[in-house]
Amino acid sequence: MASTFISIAITLLIFIVLFGNSYDAFSQIGWDLFSLTWNPAKDQFGVLSMLYGTFAVTLIALLLAVPLGIATAIFTSEILPDRFRLYVKSAIELLAGIPSIIYGLIGIALVSTWVASIFELSSGRTLVTAGILLAIMILPTIITLTDDALHNIPKKYKETSKGLGLYPYEIIQKTLLPLAKRNIAGAVLLALGRALGETMAVMLLVGSIDKIPQPFFNLLSPGQTITSKLGREVGESAFGSLHFSALNAIGFLLLLIVITLTICTQLYFRKEARSL
Amino acid sequence: MKKILTLSVFTLLVVACSQPNNNTVRVAGSTTVLPVVSVAAESYIKAHPNSKVVVNAGGSGVGVNQVGSQQVEIGMISRDITQKEINQYPQTSFTTHVIGKDAVVPVVSSEIYDAGITSLTLEQIAKIYRGEISNWKELNGPDKDILVIDKEASRGTRHVFMEIVLGDKEAVAAGADLVLGANNEEQTALTQSDSALGILSNAWLNDDVKGISIIMPDGEIVEPTLENIINNKFPITRDLVLITNGEPMGEIKAFIDYIKGPEGQKIVSKNGYVSISK
Repeated sequence: MASTFISIAITLLIFIVLFGNSYDAFSQIGWDLFSLTWNPAKDQFGVLSMLYGTFAVTLIALLLAVPLGIATAIFTSEILPDRFRLYVKSAIELLAGIPSIIYGLIGIALVSTWVASIFELSSGRTLVTAGILLAIMILPTIITLTDDALHNIPKKYKETSKGLGLYPYEIIQKTLLPLAKRNIAGAVLLALGRALGETMAVMLLVGSIDKIPQPFFNLLSPGQTITSKLGREVGESAFGSLHFSALNAIGFLLLLIVITLTICTQLYFRKEARSL
Repeated sequence: MKKILTLSVFTLLVVACSQPNNNTVRVAGSTTVLPVVSVAAESYIKAHPNSKVVVNAGGSGVGVNQVGSQQVEIGMISRDITQKEINQYPQTSFTTHVIGKDAVVPVVSSEIYDAGITSLTLEQIAKIYRGEISNWKELNGPDKDILVIDKEASRGTRHVFMEIVLGDKEAVAAGADLVLGANNEEQTALTQSDSALGILSNAWLNDDVKGISIIMPDGEIVEPTLENIINNKFPITRDLVLITNGEPMGEIKAFIDYIKGPEGQKIVSKNGYVSISK
């Protein structure tokens, strides 16, 4: 009970503090926030390139991690014998505990050079590289939660399906996955939250340039995300300056994005549940 | 039992969060000055076992901000404090202490250096950063796109470089491909690429990241050597500076004096910078 209130209070506090600190930016910059140029020296604070980068990187991460994660979870919960399942799962969960700066270093040392040589780029610091790293980072969340969701489905469903003469792949596809759909979506949402908020690894890998690639779908170019911008500039901005306020404003935008996504998913699935 | 546990955790928290003792000198800022100060701090602590010096990185902008907001006692910067920064902190009277001298050098990946690009004019470098030259071919180098590496806006190295090359320390580099932070991050990116141009402190050059010479308007080619930095021939030089809030006193003064003194200056030279005695 108390801890619930504490969590709610902290969330509210973050919301209020962020909004309070970004008020200057919203009132002085206004709609110019949604422009392309970010230049604190001239008081220009356009966030479009960062919004673009955040969405691009997150999309890449989800496109890679969701299919891979769900497939792995199906394997660990349905195909792998139970006595191995625990070991494999612990190993996967260990991945989630690795600090993100370690992922960042591995990304710089290995992944970025691979990306550079495979696609013959002059630099491996691109939106794609950051997306790949993020995918690896959110995989354990998706795998472990999906695995639990599938594993916790009561045995009777599986046995009934078997009794109806379905093939194993049909049981997974037609019975188990639809039943676990809500929980899998929850897993993806949690992973999405981490992908949107991840800072260190992305900051080291994304290139940190406030540009939208030319053409815009060329994700093999460097970019900037909201978090990498915050990570690089928050220490350099003076407390109370417009620059600081603008950084708070982009943090506030990120929070709004996460909240909106969470609420949308919740609403969508509540509707689903009723129609069942 | 539970009560004792809670109590001890609480006490621990209070102790952990209380003010550091008065002998602690906190330093933060430029990664150009960092190697000197962190080595100096180590030997200073050895000589004065009761003192504590904590050194952090962050860049010149962070150094100014943290002294301004009084989070640290000493800031490290490798550029001038801007008027904007002075206005931001009316309560702080920034005092500067020069501890050495350095040059900011345009650097290229070793592949480009070996392909024959060992010197450029300031105008050519400016054109690359403005985005008007984008391939090494245009400078008689190999047919490769230039990977132009820029630095975070408030970094000292960038201020000094852009002031000389583009005429404004806060100039926008339209041709930039990457924006990086500390000297070591820049060094890594230059090493990993085979067609990069970046900016580094002279002391951070090595076999993989080679500093190029500057062709002066009269045709003279000036190499980034210590000698050319001492006699001011190399066009992009700067001071390494420590800043404090007002005149330093006590432990802070002792540490700054140590760096300015013979042992500190030895560390300055050892790290590839020019000591103030020269």
